[in-house]
Amino acid sequence: MKKLFLAGAAVAAFSLLAGCSAGTGDSDSATTTTLTVAALEGGYGKDMYTQVIDAYRKSHPGVDVKLQISKSIEDEISPNMKAGRFPDVVVLGQGRKAALTETLIKDKSLEDLTAVLSAKVPGEQATVGEKLTDGIIGSLNTNPYGNDQTYLLPMYYAPTGLFYNKALLAQQGWPVPATWDEMFALGEKAKARGIALFTYPTAGYLDSFFFALLADIGGEQFYTDVMTYKQGVWQTPQARQALDITTRLLSYAAKTTVGYANEQDFTKNQQAILDNKALFMPNGTWIVGEMKDAPRAAGFQWGLTPLPAVTAGGKRYITTSVESVWIPSAAAHKDAAKDFIEYLYSDEAAQIFAKSSAIQPVKGIAATLTGETAEFYKVYEDPAVAALVGGFAGTPPVEGVDIKGTLFDTANSIISGDKTEDQWQAALNDASEKLRQAR
Amino acid sequence: MTTTSARPVDGVPVAPPGMGPARAAAGRSGNGGFVLACLVPALVLFVVFMLVPTVNVFRMSLYTWSGFSPQMRFVGLGNFTRLIDDEQFVRAFQNTVALLVVVTVVTMGLGLFLAAIMTRQRLRGRNLYRFILYIPSVLSVVVLAAIFSAVYDQENGLLNGTLRLLSLDGLQQIWLGNQQIVLYSVAIAMVWQSLGYYLVLYMASMSSIPEELYEASALDGASAGRQFFTITVPLIWQSLRTTLTFFIMSAVNLSFVLVRAMTGGGPDGASEVLLSYMYKQAYTNSSYGYGMAIGVVIFAFSFLVSLLVSRATRREPLQF
Repeated sequence: MKKLFLAGAAVAAFSLLAGCSAGTGDSDSATTTTLTVAALEGGYGKDMYTQVIDAYRKSHPGVDVKLQISKSIEDEISPNMKAGRFPDVVVLGQGRKAALTETLIKDKSLEDLTAVLSAKVPGEQATVGEKLTDGIIGSLNTNPYGNDQTYLLPMYYAPTGLFYNKALLAQQGWPVPATWDEMFALGEKAKARGIALFTYPTAGYLDSFFFALLADIGGEQFYTDVMTYKQGVWQTPQARQALDITTRLLSYAAKTTVGYANEQDFTKNQQAILDNKALFMPNGTWIVGEMKDAPRAAGFQWGLTPLPAVTAGGKRYITTSVESVWIPSAAAHKDAAKDFIEYLYSDEAAQIFAKSSAIQPVKGIAATLTGETAEFYKVYEDPAVAALVGGFAGTPPVEGVDIKGTLFDTANSIISGDKTEDQWQAALNDASEKLRQAR
Repeated sequence: MTTTSARPVDGVPVAPPGMGPARAAAGRSGNGGFVLACLVPALVLFVVFMLVPTVNVFRMSLYTWSGFSPQMRFVGLGNFTRLIDDEQFVRAFQNTVALLVVVTVVTMGLGLFLAAIMTRQRLRGRNLYRFILYIPSVLSVVVLAAIFSAVYDQENGLLNGTLRLLSLDGLQQIWLGNQQIVLYSVAIAMVWQSLGYYLVLYMASMSSIPEELYEASALDGASAGRQFFTITVPLIWQSLRTTLTFFIMSAVNLSFVLVRAMTGGGPDGASEVLLSYMYKQAYTNSSYGYGMAIGVVIFAFSFLVSLLVSRATRREPLQF
């Protein structure tokens, strides 16, 4: 009797455990491949993905595509990834808070996609590489280790820069500043009217600002040096100049900026632009949709400008945010995944994406744009303005060192006077050096 | 008022009346298998979901691992030596300790004071007060963060608005933007959230104290204050001890959710607490092993503080 009880209990216990691991069996059947695609549901919505997948299914009857899409896709796929079940295709850029893409880059856990560039787009004559805009492949955003190997392909691109109210500047008779001197002169004029020159939603939004500023000052080579942690790069005069300009700009920041620069209140900083209380803020094209229901000053109209030039007529860069598509190297169906990615660059797919304002970096697409979107993408037409892609180079994880935090979050302390520019420079030098040694 | 006399001596359980020691022993061995069989499922669950993950935290703290890759590198105590040099970690630790002290002292003091007034002074409408004070305890932290975002708002916030109304403009602050006070802003939210819970707890234990004790002492001429310190506090001492442990846990856990929802650890790390820093390191900075090392420190710290507090407050239980 006793033994029976024990056996029964053991069976109960094991069935509980088995229940926990049930449902992990591979659903692959012999004839069809099931491709899992995980995508971030950004401002573009999810309809475009379902439409593209439907179109893909039509031309590839042997493949079934399962879409997993969410606004916090990292939270949904990372538990499975930790358990060894990886999606086949992931559409997710860098610079997200969860930093999943960055983690896999640091880990060297991405599949090499260099071969995809020379593959023909299904049903078309051109290769993927030929269809992509010139110069979009090769930055740290696509070749994260700074060599010729491409691990991430650019999916959509959008300009980020200083957003402002066109109507306010026109009404006051203030031209959009073209140099930093003009910018600071405008700061004084605005101050006299009780308007702050600058604000930011949270310090993290300074990424687009800093990347462009560094390239404006020292050119692309200097920018790459900073992004790849060249020894002593933060002690150079160029780096100091970047911090000088930023510190001066931050002295013109709206008083409310720091108090609202958190997850809960950052829209109040964005509201300052809509209310004509501040002139410029770094942001991305999603701001239009994000604040579409917010009240605003009469006649308000969004404008986007690159950062002012360091010297009159100097080259100006505009940080371009690029969503990426990649394959985890532990994915089960890599070949099918590559085929699917090639399809994403077909004319058919590009049209579906463009309808949701998701603009792919494909040649000739800018001509097809209309409305407010077209306005924003016009910044690239100025010959003195160049697109700047990328971000800090991937390194193996370094405990306790977060150079983005050091570079951006310190702005809060500069405004409030808790840290000095010298401390900022020293901390950046220190963080950069630690990361350099880890590479 | 005497000390307890019916306590088990040296851990030997007292057999219930009508059941001799021999019968009790026989019953135990006869049911042993059944009891064991009943315990196994729970034990298995406990091992799988509690013991294994906890041991894993300790094991992972000795490795360098990003969280995803199959590559794990054993670094021994390397993560812990790094912690000592990590200024942000030290700052987060200081913040956690500060919150622990401030929130415990204020919540406990206020909770005891209000509970004493409500039970002893027969306050009119005390059920209403109790109800109002208890509401924050059932609110989710996200709601709490939204409420305090409205309270602390530097322009149209309740706090600064009231100060302006009272012509105390000089006292206005950027509550969540000033690095010197942001931690206290978080502490106030924590006190507000937990006060009602402890108030109800203290009121419950206070109302079980017999009325005669107060009557007798009143005849002897004891003031309300004297009664509070010589009758109320000693008689609810056991509840006080229990709540102290709750305070330590809530200072560690509640501060994380509140900080994450309200300030994100900002501005520039000024309100970072241990758990939020651990989360950042483990998940955003891809240093899972390092995060687990912080987890071990939190575990050891809360364990140690609970132990110390429990030892320091040990008294012979009083009975009435």
